[in-house]
Amino acid sequence: MVGLVLISHSSRLAEGLRDMVAQVAGDRVAVGIAGGTDDGRLGTSALRIAAALRLALADGAEGVVVLLDLGSAALSLELAMEELDPADRARVRITEAPLVEGAVLAAVQASVGASLAEVEAAAAAAVTLAKLPRG
Amino acid sequence: MPELTLTVSDPAGLHARPAARFVQAASRFESHIVIRHGGREADAKSLIALLGLVIRLSSEIVLAADGPDAEAAIAALTMELAPYLGSAS
Repeated sequence: MVGLVLISHSSRLAEGLRDMVAQVAGDRVAVGIAGGTDDGRLGTSALRIAAALRLALADGAEGVVVLLDLGSAALSLELAMEELDPADRARVRITEAPLVEGAVLAAVQASVGASLAEVEAAAAAAVTLAKLPRG
Repeated sequence: MPELTLTVSDPAGLHARPAARFVQAASRFESHIVIRHGGREADAKSLIALLGLVIRLSSEIVLAADGPDAEAAIAALTMELAPYLGSAS
């Protein structure tokens, strides 16, 4: 099964989103989080991200789809990716998806046994999801 | 191709959690399963497709399946939706 890693500048945001995702998609999908800095402030940590990625990949996962809250997390993520073995790195897909919608959609597709490419596509499609009812 | 018309009776429509449960239930079947609403059709095994239909209170939807387990799929998915829908036919 494909897992997710959610990266946020806030550990509470990441934890809350993990709860939401578990409620919608069920608890069979592995959802790793990396929120905040190493000393618990707002920000991102390459160490925390690398740890979350390793944990998600170690679980026998086909791969991991990564979602970020803001683009400024990308640098920490890049550093974390450099820490991974090439074989592990090849199983990680980083998406532009909006964090909340992307996480929910990706987790539901992962929960039904979708492939890494399918889960990545589900996350990417989240940009098309309207927040407000139309018409 | 067996199909069934249903009407949404939940004030919130088909929202994220029931839609997710529905996708999970649909994915257990081999058949190609779709929901039609408002002139559009969504793959019942894709949450983004399903949410894209914007199914709301009193929306009439058609559940259709095509494949070796189509009848069983329609029966099981109708049960899955029962708390949110009233049968129209």
